[in-house]
Amino acid sequence: MTTAQTTEVIDQQHTGSMSVLDLIVTYRQALVLPCLFILALVGFSIGAPGFFTLDNLLNVARQSVYLMIVSLGQLVVLIVGGLDLSVGVIAALTSVVSALVMAALYAAFPEAPWMVVILGILVGVTIGATVGLVNGFGSAILRIPPFMMTLGMSSVIFGLTLFISGGVPIYGIPPEFGEAFGFGHLFGIPVPTIVAILLILAVYILLEWTRFGRHVYAVGGNVRAAQLSGVRTERVIIKAFIIAGVFAAITGLLLTARLDTGETNIGTSLPLESIAACVIAGVSLAGGTGRTFNVVIGTILIILVQNGLNLMQVGAYASTMTIGAILVFAMALSRK
Amino acid sequence: MLAAEVKTDAVDTGAAGQPRPGAAPLLQVCGLTKKYGNNIALNNADLAFYPGRVHVLFGENGSGKSTFISMVAGANQPTSGYLVIDDHKGPFRSVNEARSFGVRAVFQEFSLVPQLTVAQNLVLGEEPVGSFGLLSSEEARRRAQALIDDMGFDLSPDATVGELTRGKQQMVEIGKALQHVPRLLILDEPTASLSEHDARALFKLVKRLKEKGVAIIYITHRMHEIAELGDEVSILRDGRLIGTVPASTGHDDLIELMTGRALSEIYPPLNEQLGDVKLAIKGLSLAPAPGVPTVSGIDLEVRAGEIVGIAGLVGCGKSELGQACFGLRRITKGEILVDGKLLRASHPADAIKAGVWYSPADRKNDGLALGRPAGENMSLSGLTWGEIAGQLLKPRKEKSLLGKLSGSVAFPVPRLGESAGSFSGGNQQKVLLAKGLAQDATVYIFDEPTVGVDMGARPAIYRYMADLLKAGAAILLISSDLSELFGLSHRLLVMNEGRINSEFSRDEFDEHHVLDKFF
Repeated sequence: MTTAQTTEVIDQQHTGSMSVLDLIVTYRQALVLPCLFILALVGFSIGAPGFFTLDNLLNVARQSVYLMIVSLGQLVVLIVGGLDLSVGVIAALTSVVSALVMAALYAAFPEAPWMVVILGILVGVTIGATVGLVNGFGSAILRIPPFMMTLGMSSVIFGLTLFISGGVPIYGIPPEFGEAFGFGHLFGIPVPTIVAILLILAVYILLEWTRFGRHVYAVGGNVRAAQLSGVRTERVIIKAFIIAGVFAAITGLLLTARLDTGETNIGTSLPLESIAACVIAGVSLAGGTGRTFNVVIGTILIILVQNGLNLMQVGAYASTMTIGAILVFAMALSRK
Repeated sequence: MLAAEVKTDAVDTGAAGQPRPGAAPLLQVCGLTKKYGNNIALNNADLAFYPGRVHVLFGENGSGKSTFISMVAGANQPTSGYLVIDDHKGPFRSVNEARSFGVRAVFQEFSLVPQLTVAQNLVLGEEPVGSFGLLSSEEARRRAQALIDDMGFDLSPDATVGELTRGKQQMVEIGKALQHVPRLLILDEPTASLSEHDARALFKLVKRLKEKGVAIIYITHRMHEIAELGDEVSILRDGRLIGTVPASTGHDDLIELMTGRALSEIYPPLNEQLGDVKLAIKGLSLAPAPGVPTVSGIDLEVRAGEIVGIAGLVGCGKSELGQACFGLRRITKGEILVDGKLLRASHPADAIKAGVWYSPADRKNDGLALGRPAGENMSLSGLTWGEIAGQLLKPRKEKSLLGKLSGSVAFPVPRLGESAGSFSGGNQQKVLLAKGLAQDATVYIFDEPTVGVDMGARPAIYRYMADLLKAGAAILLISSDLSELFGLSHRLLVMNEGRINSEFSRDEFDEHHVLDKFF
């Protein structure tokens, strides 16, 4: 919830004229996340067999990683006042191209799998950064609304991905890639989880402790005011899109490692789910607000719901419907 | 009753504070009160309006004038209190109800359709119908022309409203209210954007309506209009009706009634010692921009310790001149020197680096991120240029800087964490002004620094400027508030149509002479 609302609450409390209902209405945005979370936990514990077990909850945590990373990038773009609908296709393009590059290099240099893996990762991250740069350039310099810019780019990149892959999975990645980044453990913790934790901390530090973070909030809060304070707003917006692109690419790489193949259709649900994770976490689509750890919880909530519905064996369609409904519900609550 | 609060001898203390015993009032306002939450916008106002009298309402922004007239016009409903007109006793529940009693208002926000012509706007809602039930545009034109002729305005019925200047749009708006002669006409700062010629036409119109027995409520900030048009003046301050005095009351008395304090308490004494030239603008011309006259041929100098005021109508180019010094406008000719060095600024960042600070007029759209904490707003530019500059935030240094900044504009330190949008206009303006202190600057450009700021908060802002001067800064003060310009400037320049057309030194300050140069 925003500070503005906190203030209103404090002011009204001083008057002592606040009923419980008023409190709920005023705090509704802050309440929605914990309420939904508890509702999901209790509901699924009762209704879904095997839900409330350590194994399953760890499973949820593991599954959350991929969406988590995309949501963190989405968060930065949303705070700056943008929106990135192309995160899914960035993951797909990254998966396909880095898989192709790794397969080709591995065939040529089978004795140096780690060099191949590192180059593959570099290629993937570069793809994410490049698409982010294009998105940012279109949004900040050409002033195309981010919604249209990233929607258009989604189509461009999806077509490009299909063109490159021919729509079939790409094999031939060095097994070391999957062993390390798909199924590997470090100090007993899965490697993807470690990557996600590092990125959560990185985003938190970036947003809360650095000048760039302040600029991100300022640009999203009022782009004109930021400009008049000497902030190079275009650069901030472009950097935000690059971060979202790179984070989507990292998810693309981790999914590739998990699947051991380059896949065209790995990211279809990512745009909606990442936006939903942020909106449930109280991030305003108008920009200027959003907290890292709330988005972490929002992401886990979405995966939790999917997992619970899965265990209740309601099927994937119902799960898709539920995520959409949660997004709409969260938007309804966030209106001013 | 109200007279008890009034200190001036000039106040007529007759029945209900009104100098017109005998005649029956057209409309009476009794105990009118409007609350927004805990804020009292208008407190228990009693007034009467008489046929054929021009009643001026005078007060600061936020004093309750707008709230008052919006309730008289039916656009807003009172929390308590009522109106009496004919046999109606109670508030007006809608604008239409007010109109049914002949009460019409011309607000500062227009209700025009920009895509339609003047004639189409004037007959909007009452379009004349010709044969076969189709609209008759000739009849509409004829009616519109008759109305325009009757008003004496310089206006073409075929012009598209959206393409007219604000002043012309104002006339169309007035025309709409005069389609049927009202019994009570409310005019909210009607001359704020009119040219001298059209203002004259409006004065004649007001006098004619007055002769016809129309009661007129007239809101203005211009002293000479009060004397020329008004019969009596009611002064509002902080939502209270302070009193009603004859329109012939002296200017200084009116200002002191309006502000509740002596002039000398409001404006700090002027700094007498001027230093080197800090800002020099030579032969400056700007690239044309839509909607504003092209600024050209500007020469001016501001010295250390000096305030140079720039006056002029809205849209005369005075804001654009300030923005040009901040890298926001493209310069086509001439140059700007800051501290003797050529300023090359294509972005505010370049200007700040060179020691220029610009405080925009529109604090909501251009000045503050309203959803972010006040403190974050204050220190934003300081993160790049101030003592807290650096890639990483320095929370402790920032906290002490914010304490210092708050002190210099009298902003409450405990409230730094609250979002900027939750503050009143005065405190928001203080946040905006404090931003200018987050880094060192030698030239400060203030564009409407007190717009929407009540008198109580202004002395702190003026003291802040005086402190800047003492520290050796040069200030370019762009303002629409003449009394502020007179109170603060060493010299005053008037702009018109993008050019500086006159300069006044302090002993030549005179409202009438200065306003003459506006047009």
